Formats: sequence, C-alpha cells, structure tokens
Amino acid sequence: MDAQTRYRRWYRRLLGLYPRPYRERFADSMEQTFTDLCRERTATEGRGQGAFILWIFTETFAGIIRERATDLARLTMVRNATNVFRIVKYLALATGGLMVAATATVMVLARGTGEDITGVVAPALLLTLLSAVAAVVAAILQGTSDRRRPPGSSPAWK
Amino acid sequence: MASTRDGGPLTPAVLHILLVLSTQDRHGYGIMKQVESDSRGKVKMGPGTLYGSIRRMTEAGLIRESDKKIDPNLDDERRVYYGITALGQQTLAAELQRYRQVVAVAHERSLIPKAMGI
Repeated sequence: MDAQTRYRRWYRRLLGLYPRPYRERFADSMEQTFTDLCRERTATEGRGQGAFILWIFTETFAGIIRERATDLARLTMVRNATNVFRIVKYLALATGGLMVAATATVMVLARGTGEDITGVVAPALLLTLLSAVAAVVAAILQGTSDRRRPPGSSPAWK
Repeated sequence: MASTRDGGPLTPAVLHILLVLSTQDRHGYGIMKQVESDSRGKVKMGPGTLYGSIRRMTEAGLIRESDKKIDPNLDDERRVYYGITALGQQTLAAELQRYRQVVAVAHERSLIPKAMGI
C-alpha cells in the first residue's frame, strides 16, 4: 500500500467523526478533494508531504469540532439533554483517542533522535486524562437523563 | 456567519467562495484552487473550512448544489458542483458595496498609500 492510499484511508476514518448528516452529504467530496490536494502536492513538491498532511488533518479535525459544536448548540436549544450528553461523550472519546494517537506518533518519530519530548507528551497525556473523565461523566449523566425520559419516547435523532 | 443581504460583514471564506462562484459553477477542489489564486495565495482553505462554509451557505440559500459532473482536467470521478443563487449574488453585491464605501472613506482620509494603486 503506497503512502497516498494510506493517508486516504486515515482521512476517511477521520471523516467518520463528523455528524452523520454532514458525513453523508460531504464525506465523499471531502475525500475527493483530499486526494486532489495530495496528488497536486506530490506533483509539484514531491517532498515535505508530512507537514502538509498534518495540516489537512488538523484543519479537518477543527472542522469536526465546529460541526459537533453546532450540533450541540442545536440540541441544547431543543433541550434534549440525553443527546447532548451523548455527543459530549463521543467528543471526549474522540479527543482522547486523538491525543493517544498523537502521543504515539510523536514517540515513534522521536525514537532514536534523543530529543526531549516531555513538553509535548505531558500536556497530551493530561488532555487524554481529562477527556476520559469528561467521557465518564457524560456517560453517567446520559444514563441518568435516559432513565428520566418518559416511557415510549425515542431520542430525537432516531 | 453573516449570511444575509442585510446582515453584517461576511467571513473571508464566504466572501471568496461567493466571488469564485459568481462566474461559474465549480466543485470543491476547484473552489479551493481559485480562492487561492484570487487571493494571490493569501487565503488557503482546507477541506474542513471549505465544506463547513458550503454547508452553512447552502442552508442560508447563498449557493446551491448542482448536478454531479466529471471534471475533464482531473480524472473520471463524478464531482458535486456548486453554483451561486440569486440571493448569493445580492449578498455579494451588498458586501462589495460595503467594501467600496470603506475604501472611499479611506481615500477621503488619505489612508491608502499611493504605491498600492487603489
């Protein structure tokens, strides 16, 4: 599997973090655009693709947070607490997962170079811990809110 | 996002997308490249910003999705094209008018260096 195929696969997984309606509408186009950008980058520069890919992933992740926040704001407006807690839980899990992946990547890249990566790894681990706590709290609140819901009512997004 | 004709200033991303689509329909990558070219490389949008803006702009009625087509310059994949709506044209015109007024004020106060050639 070449690097571009691998990046495309990772990018497709990242797009999976978008809210479902957004994903169904734009994920294919975004993946196409990503492929176009990679192709162009390879043709014009050939090197330095790592930083470019990192920028695209970061920029897209920021977009995911924006869309999730928009969803959250809409749900808050309709006062559907269960869904809000569910989204917070998934957001926290996604953030935690990303931090673990980022930490692992930094450790792999820094292996053998002798560089001090404590300044990067320590905040990432702290954020991972905070994300885990947030996910647990959101899951508990979601369960509590679910039990309070009148019998027979279904979540708003189903 | 300020998105209506009577609303406040548009974000740079929205303004540039409207500018690009005012002449012809384009797909996402085409929009991205034209924005970069129009802004002489000063505005660079990634897919997250571009498609987030497209979603909000379609919801606001500024742009619309047109049919899927093949771009002969790229490959044989079918792509979604986007086009500007009448409301989008009006919003763009209002925003450009606002810019014109700002530049006129700057001229009155001699704030624009002659070297800029505006």
